[in-house]
Amino acid sequence: MGIVETKDLTYEYIRRDEEGNVEGITRAVDGVTMSIEEGDFIAVLGSNGSGKSTFAKHLNAILYPTEGSVFVDGKDTSDPANTWDIRQRAGMIFQNPDNQIIGNVVEEDVGFGPENMGVPTDEIWVRVEEALKTLNMYEFRKHSPNKLSGGQKQRVAIAGVVAMHPKCIIMDEPTAMLDPLGRKEVIRAARALNDVEGVTIILITHYMEEVIYADKVFVMDKGKIAMQGSPREIFSRPEELKKLRLTVPQATLLAYELKRRGLDLPEGILSGDELVREICLRTGKDMEQEKYKKALSEFAN
Amino acid sequence: MSFIINHLSHIYGEKTTLEVKALDDVSMKIADGEFIGLIGHTGSGKSTFVQHLNGLMKATSGQILYNGEDIYDKSYDRVKLRYHVGLVFQYPEHQLFEESVFKDVCFGPKNMGLSEKEAELKAYEALKKVKLPDEYFYVSPFDLSGGQKRRVAIAGVLAMQPDVLILDEPTAGLDPTGRDEILELIKELHEGGKTIILVSHSMDDVANYVERLLVMNRGKLVMDSSPGEVFRRFRELQGMGLAAPEVTYIMHKLNVFELPVNIRATTIDEAADSIMSLFKGGATGAR
Repeated sequence: MGIVETKDLTYEYIRRDEEGNVEGITRAVDGVTMSIEEGDFIAVLGSNGSGKSTFAKHLNAILYPTEGSVFVDGKDTSDPANTWDIRQRAGMIFQNPDNQIIGNVVEEDVGFGPENMGVPTDEIWVRVEEALKTLNMYEFRKHSPNKLSGGQKQRVAIAGVVAMHPKCIIMDEPTAMLDPLGRKEVIRAARALNDVEGVTIILITHYMEEVIYADKVFVMDKGKIAMQGSPREIFSRPEELKKLRLTVPQATLLAYELKRRGLDLPEGILSGDELVREICLRTGKDMEQEKYKKALSEFAN
Repeated sequence: MSFIINHLSHIYGEKTTLEVKALDDVSMKIADGEFIGLIGHTGSGKSTFVQHLNGLMKATSGQILYNGEDIYDKSYDRVKLRYHVGLVFQYPEHQLFEESVFKDVCFGPKNMGLSEKEAELKAYEALKKVKLPDEYFYVSPFDLSGGQKRRVAIAGVLAMQPDVLILDEPTAGLDPTGRDEILELIKELHEGGKTIILVSHSMDDVANYVERLLVMNRGKLVMDSSPGEVFRRFRELQGMGLAAPEVTYIMHKLNVFELPVNIRATTIDEAADSIMSLFKGGATGAR
């Protein structure tokens, strides 16, 4: 059994007018069956209103299914007795870092989660230190969170979840409000948590570039799963993605344009480096030369 | 000539220990009809700067001339300035409040003192301009999708018929198609004669649309050039928490291999043109 198992998950909410009369029912999530293996890096794409945030809120028992079931680490989310266990095992990160930080000092904020769980004080401090070091925010532990940049605040919020020792972290558009450096910091942190600590990551995003390292991608549309596969499989279907109001990474887009103009390139190029390699091959450049390697290593973007 | 900005500074907590220079000696000219992008890390002073342009914030020192008039003159009507220079805030849909879309868009022109009839006419034109389908005019703005709400919020500013339109992160949180739709709308408004200032964290968006790109860092204006010239300096940009579009990195990496490509290319089309010229000899399928 995977860390997250949903079966025919359906969520409906009732729309009401100003007097409270029922206007209709909206099915935000419609029969989603999904199995996520522990340790995977999962990305969820979908247009605004496709149901991906509503789906995500089921994974740590903020919402309960109208029909179907959700199991997190083997526990049924619809049983209220499991709520606190589930929220500790599956942490959640939201779009706006300012809405997620409550402490006056970074380390206090990070300690809030484990304290609420009843972790003994000595252990709280150990966990806070570990979490801040993991997120590369240890040097800011005595700072006031409101003086930090967006990317730093978001990493403090993630550290707060990490200190609860979750098995899984769900990130709902964590980079939507950040500048390029902040975006890079947060995605790097998510990948490191997955690679090094083995934490399962479920990343919801509108930025295609953030998805290319995922083990598996789910694309949602009108509450249903419309596509699933590896990033390479998903981004080899640009026409379908376009119909779902999505796109492909910039490097993939450029590769398609070059193919359209007659350059012979393989399908499913995802990154700039892959594209550069393919072009060099076709111009007969020897990429192994030391001077090239050195110059390339200076990019590190 | 729309704006001349001379040595503009804004200091928070002046002469205290917490003094922060949010704007530090910023000077520039902005001509009528320009399409300008403004980038900078969080806290670089972008939002502070644009709020000076429509008189929402007042500088600690320095001068702003709008169409030749000093906006800090005692006799200058700064309320009117807000009608000439429209500012669309970040997540503007959070500011929708009326019971119907149409009423919401009427709010601005009514506030300007226009009659009910005139205000409604302006609101109608604005909603047409943002291409909101008629059937949504009388629904609650809260029943619209994210992209539609944002259009309504932009229409609310357009209804005041500003000459200059400033948009602070207009595409944040939208899906890729929603982003393209809003950017195309902004492009059309520019082609219709408006001066546009687009504040953005998306390097791809500014690369694809603007003609002139301003870069702010720690309250200072540090670059002011074409997107191609600005993104060529990607190493400096990275030092400021910014980046270049992926396309720019690809071109620079190809350049490392001594391939004669255009390192000023910032859009897919420019890059494709340049890369295809490498294969002019006809060796495109050389395998």
